Amino acid sequence: MGTPVKDITLPDNAPKTLLLQKHADYIAAYGNKKDDYEYIMTEYLRMNGMYWGLTALSLAGQLDRMDKKEVISFAKSCQTEGGGVACSVGHDPHMLSTLSAVQILTLYDAVDNLNVETLVSWVAGLQQDDGSFSGDKWGEVDTRFSFCAVACLSLLGRLDAINVDKAVDFVLSCMNFDGGFGCRPGSESHSGQIYCCVGLLAITGYLHKINTDQLGWWLCERQLPSGGLNGRPEKLPDVCYSWWVLASMAAIGRLHWIDKDKLRAFMLACQDEETGGFADRPGDMVDPFHTLFGLAGLSLLGDESVQPVNPVYCMPENIIRRLNLSTTDDAENS
Amino acid sequence: MHGRLKVKTTEEQQKAKQEERAKKLKLYTAATSKAFQKRKAGELDTELLEITGQVLHVNPDFYTFWNIRKETFLHLHDAKESAELQKLYRGELDFLEMCLKVNPKSYGTWHHRSFVMDHMPQPDWARELELCNLFLQFDERNFHCWDYRRFVVKRSKVAAVEEFDFTTSKISSNFSNFSSWHYRSKLLPILHPDPTQPSGIAPHVIQSEFELVQNGLYTDPDDQSNWFYHKWLLGRGEQNQRINYAYISCVKKQILVSFTKAIKIGVASCEVLLNKSKVNVTWTNQNGTSAFSTLWISFPEFICL
Ligand SMILES: [Zn+2]
Repeated sequence: MGTPVKDITLPDNAPKTLLLQKHADYIAAYGNKKDDYEYIMTEYLRMNGMYWGLTALSLAGQLDRMDKKEVISFAKSCQTEGGGVACSVGHDPHMLSTLSAVQILTLYDAVDNLNVETLVSWVAGLQQDDGSFSGDKWGEVDTRFSFCAVACLSLLGRLDAINVDKAVDFVLSCMNFDGGFGCRPGSESHSGQIYCCVGLLAITGYLHKINTDQLGWWLCERQLPSGGLNGRPEKLPDVCYSWWVLASMAAIGRLHWIDKDKLRAFMLACQDEETGGFADRPGDMVDPFHTLFGLAGLSLLGDESVQPVNPVYCMPENIIRRLNLSTTDDAENS
Repeated sequence: MHGRLKVKTTEEQQKAKQEERAKKLKLYTAATSKAFQKRKAGELDTELLEITGQVLHVNPDFYTFWNIRKETFLHLHDAKESAELQKLYRGELDFLEMCLKVNPKSYGTWHHRSFVMDHMPQPDWARELELCNLFLQFDERNFHCWDYRRFVVKRSKVAAVEEFDFTTSKISSNFSNFSSWHYRSKLLPILHPDPTQPSGIAPHVIQSEFELVQNGLYTDPDDQSNWFYHKWLLGRGEQNQRINYAYISCVKKQILVSFTKAIKIGVASCEVLLNKSKVNVTWTNQNGTSAFSTLWISFPEFICL
């Protein structure tokens, strides 16, 4: 008597080609529905939402469809006096929205619109004695915030503002028996956290601390018969987890350990032919979050109609190259 | 958005949904603007708890509202007697339990609960452990709840052996339980340390764990949890840092050293002695940089005899 494998079957009528233009149209229209229920109710992640949408459009090669001035002035208006950036005007600053704001302005080569000095010191001020980072002044510690801090500061060329060695040590203290990483020391491995921890080690030049074969094995076992990847053992496949797993594998050089054609078929099946956009699984509601990770995933899988994506920053590769940032151990940017 | 099925709706249904949403939106915008207003005016009172609660109950990721609640509680510390505070905090725990039943996977809700427990006058940690038991019964893979459980265990100093027994009972009811196997991997080095072993764990314990996981493999050979744990038990030796080989060429005036583990020579310097006297050398890795690598090269200025 065994536990049945949790998976889905791809519907026969599911899309089999990339509907790139429909996705770009879906994203470009999303921001115009400002009175929409869905839009208003997600105010607490507006900055993240803008990052998902703008990056998706960049990967589709259509960033110019957005109102650059409006985006920049929004990001600027969300920076608080203490330096951190809030998700929306009037909300509190948080590490998640701060990274999104920096990523957005980096896309536009316009970080100077923020007060970089106060932002850097706000981020640095959230580093704890053990090297970890809290998400804001209320003290929730998580390896996601370690990644946000390091990614944000490296995009600004200001990694010198924090204790990088301690940040690395904290992340390594979250490594588990399966080679993966969790939220905090003792926490179970989870693809989202693995993405963050691998990303931090890639940016700081410490990828060699990972047991590549062990972690690579755990990651490639996320692929299910449907072709999709799940976030943890015995879970359903999902487009966003597919990205986090895939990007981690790319960062540690194990992309060839999964069946790319099957994953591609799964991702394509998660597109909505009517509305454009990607859902978590075929037949579900689409959103900008899964649309970005769908496009980014297909880019990593070698789809040439999508711009090349950097697996660590989840931003267009040409932007990361413009900043001269490296995400392999031969980096000397740390 | 996760797991939200797209359903075809009739025009009538759509209209009804739109009306319902318009109503919800009105309440939502009224509540949010009132809460922000009150915060600005410094009115950190129970009414503010009421208003933010209405929003958080359906929208637990609205993190700024959790912050407002924390501010309000800290403010009430100055204004209220201990007994009254205790009562307010108890009410907060009940509210949080309600929120967790709607959405058991919100980071903000769990973090707020740990804030409450760290600030209330008389925290009842045993009750929290019971709550974890309950939520792990609903979903034995909820990592938020496991992490909160580890927080409770740490604060109230629950013995590691009791937690170990808890994972045993979880596994005996279902071998396919990755979270429990994971927890065991963290508890074993605390319960049965043995520094003479490469695994750091006493050999007889490894043996009994091996037998347990083998039962799991027989019961459910397709389940990944058991196999990952099995592999972990099998091989945990750590490789020591040493030199694989060193190559010295007089013709090329080159030294090449290969290590078993990546190293950064700038930090842990690698000295070269020639005829017992130290030679000054600068090391770079194979890419000509000073980043971590297993291969290091130098071009020393010495003359071979
Ligand atoms: Zn997802």
